[in-house]
Amino acid sequence: MRYDSITEAIGNTPLVRIDPAVHGLSNIDLYAKLEMLNPFGSVKDRPAWHMARPHLEEEAGGHGTVVELSSGNTAKALALLAGLHGLKFKSVTNRMRVPEIRELLLLLGAEIEELPGQSECLDPTDTDDPLTRFHQALSEPGNTYLHTDQYFNPRNVEAHAAGTGPEIVKDLDGRAPDWFIACVGTAGSSTGVAQVLREHDPQVRVLGLVADKSDFIPGIRTIDEVHQVGLFDPATYDSIVSVTSQEAIDGMVTLIRRCGLLSGPTGGAAYQGAVRRLASVDAELAGAGLRQSAVFIVCDRAESYLSYVRRRRPELLGGTRRGHAVSSLTDSEIRARARVIGVEDAQRWMAEGDPRPLVVDLRGPHAYAALHIEGSINIVDEVFEELVRTGLPFSKRTPVLLACPVGEKSLRYAALLTRMGHPDVRSLADGIVAWRDAGAPLVRE
Amino acid sequence: MKDAPLYLRPRVDPPLASLLGDVPFLHSLVDVLGSPLNVLLPEVVADNAERFRSVYRRHRLAGRVYFAHKANRSSALVRRLAACDPAAVGIDVASLEELRHALSCGFTGNRVMATGPKDREFLWLAARVGATVNLDSAGELEQLAELVRTYGLGRVDVLARLSGFESDTGHGGVGTRVLSRRSRFGTPVAEIDELWAALERHQDAVILTGLAYHLDTTGLEEKVRALERCVLAMDECRARGLAPRVVDVGGGFGVGYVAEAGEWERWTTALSEAVLGVRPPLTWRGHGYGLRNEGGTVRGAAALYPAHRPVAGPGYLDQLLSLPAPVLGRPPATLLLEHLNDLYVEPGRALVDQCGLSLARVLDVRPVGVGHTRHLVRLGMNAGDVSLEEHGVLVDPVLLPRGDLRDEAADDGPVGVHLVGNLCLEADLITRRLVFLPRLPRAGDLLAFVNTAGYVMDFHAHHAQRQPVARTVAVTEEGGARRWCLDEDYWPLTHPQGVPS
Repeated sequence: MRYDSITEAIGNTPLVRIDPAVHGLSNIDLYAKLEMLNPFGSVKDRPAWHMARPHLEEEAGGHGTVVELSSGNTAKALALLAGLHGLKFKSVTNRMRVPEIRELLLLLGAEIEELPGQSECLDPTDTDDPLTRFHQALSEPGNTYLHTDQYFNPRNVEAHAAGTGPEIVKDLDGRAPDWFIACVGTAGSSTGVAQVLREHDPQVRVLGLVADKSDFIPGIRTIDEVHQVGLFDPATYDSIVSVTSQEAIDGMVTLIRRCGLLSGPTGGAAYQGAVRRLASVDAELAGAGLRQSAVFIVCDRAESYLSYVRRRRPELLGGTRRGHAVSSLTDSEIRARARVIGVEDAQRWMAEGDPRPLVVDLRGPHAYAALHIEGSINIVDEVFEELVRTGLPFSKRTPVLLACPVGEKSLRYAALLTRMGHPDVRSLADGIVAWRDAGAPLVRE
Repeated sequence: MKDAPLYLRPRVDPPLASLLGDVPFLHSLVDVLGSPLNVLLPEVVADNAERFRSVYRRHRLAGRVYFAHKANRSSALVRRLAACDPAAVGIDVASLEELRHALSCGFTGNRVMATGPKDREFLWLAARVGATVNLDSAGELEQLAELVRTYGLGRVDVLARLSGFESDTGHGGVGTRVLSRRSRFGTPVAEIDELWAALERHQDAVILTGLAYHLDTTGLEEKVRALERCVLAMDECRARGLAPRVVDVGGGFGVGYVAEAGEWERWTTALSEAVLGVRPPLTWRGHGYGLRNEGGTVRGAAALYPAHRPVAGPGYLDQLLSLPAPVLGRPPATLLLEHLNDLYVEPGRALVDQCGLSLARVLDVRPVGVGHTRHLVRLGMNAGDVSLEEHGVLVDPVLLPRGDLRDEAADDGPVGVHLVGNLCLEADLITRRLVFLPRLPRAGDLLAFVNTAGYVMDFHAHHAQRQPVARTVAVTEEGGARRWCLDEDYWPLTHPQGVPS
């Protein structure tokens, strides 16, 4: 397929049937709408392009900045679209909660502005929240912001009413599915798709999924947060239920490992929420001898959520480390093996030792640069840990004095090196703090 | 139809729970001393200081925990803290009178930190007794230096309070800007060079012992950024020949008022729904606490203290010290330690967590509204006596029935009440929230507002209409016996009123 612009590749995503052996629903055909296959990687490509297009075509090559409240896929799509038109993009967000997405946005040339946290010494008369100030800045005369306003812009819904919805109907041979399951973020996709499906068949049942209130799933709002979305209309949904991040990850793993779909947690939540709701429907259908169909949206891909998964389910990204590690030492082993040396003796050893010890400062490079023991070298603990496993840059014949702030880490490493066969490794007792307190000299870089 | 009870029941730790369980004791106190009445547990403040100290120990950090005196006027709390290890616990005073009070309660000058905006008298006494002066501005430094020289006061330890970390471009990651509320206090980091120059100019009068910040936010990221910036600025100071040792991270560690996350979540969700009009109001005249309904969408931010906190107080400090810093990547605890800095904290609310309660007598109960489903409960206190609303804190009081008035009739079940004060003023509501109690209170019962020692108890108390201001008592326990004395009579001795014969 040949295109003049990548924007032409937005939309027309596949609808893939999930193997019943995976979901276990014997009377329901469950389909995944693979929005993750849009060119910028998510369902947000459609509304981003549809909302920004009028601005972009008018302002291309000018000095405007596209601005949006987004910490995820909308920001990603808008950053690329803005760049494509020679414009800048600024993302305003409460908190970037997925570090990879932050870095990805920076790579795409976006500017990120994070709003202040909640006040601790509350002034109840100050109801001027940071968002109000954001909107004030946008309406100041002479500003060059192009605000796409995804939570209130009807073009967000239109993008799906004109694209996603009709595509689903077409791929189901002109029929609407009996069920449509969508995670509610901006409410754009669920509202737009539901509109189209209901025009075809008013009996379509729409299930909205929100994140459990104390939980966080990227791209899904909690029940309180959806009330703050201008596009959200409770009448769109036959029911709204919540899903947890654990369910989202379960669903994501099923889609990845059993269906060949590289879904992110949002798609996982949609799958898991769909199967949970449809299980009881399936049981009723079994008696009636009927078949139904259901569609859910796979919003984006897995790769950006590794740290999200690591925080919640580290075992999924497991794999054990090999080689020597301080974590393998017991307290009694540390006591038995580690040799310590006080400040005065250490000074004498450094001045008169034959050979003189190599002094290794395990602190961070900034701290080392600010103040350190003259003649010491700096190997920051993280690097030292790696070197212990892979190979140390000094011989076993070299006597070593290890130093850290209070003599705790150095003690563990002294024990470990002794276990590894280094005959003369000592830890500076009570560390560089004790060295300073004893009035021993420290130098600056 | 009755409203389903939306409780926000308080978190009550064992010492306070035990006090609350002694209903006859609390009734007898109010019988003697009147309503309202504040009750403090001075031992708990010492336990809390110890909890903060244990976070220090876990991170191998040295330095003092300073009690922000403004959270509570009590003498008992300050005297109990004065009796703690002098190397571990100090006091942060924000006025001349607080300084005098701290000194009279047993704090020596070297354990005192003077913060906030200061007048000449405050500066003079702080300098005279050897307190550390937390400098609010360059102007204050000039004023202090002039006082020191004029009155021969000797060199004064000072901390320099910094602010405006947001606009600091020197060390931030490119492309990301974390916004913060602007503070009126402190020297903006953009003007830091002038501050160093002034400190050098006044070296005969002051000794820079460290750098400080205090951010009004619950956001850890903003605080981590400020803390890291201070660590880097400490190195700049040292490079200029100054010798600071301390980073002071201020307070704002928070308190969890509501016991159960579920209750807090249900209530806040219901507030949104009430603002949208899909459920009956939860508040006096449909007050939205800052939320408003614009065409079916909720706008604005709820001006509420986050009353359920999974992590607060010492746990919050622990998190702050453990998160990776944005520029150097290592956690603040490691940075402080490696750069050879001590840590000061100034908790107020968090240090007096679970230290006390405020009691009010129920004066009158009458039904209101259609079908009389709700009641007005008038209390022998006003909104100034427990300033819950003033701080956006929402939490239920505990009902302590008057034993001799309890009849044998069956319990009539949970009921929604509006708590109104003793002032002749429409706005005198103890809380705007419709409060659910397990049963309808009766005149003579007590309501106990739990965990009020931090800012809620006496910060806004006043003499309007010549209504009585609460007396405060300190309660101690020895060998199972509960003793009490007036706050001003408390001293941290085993037998304050003499050894029993």
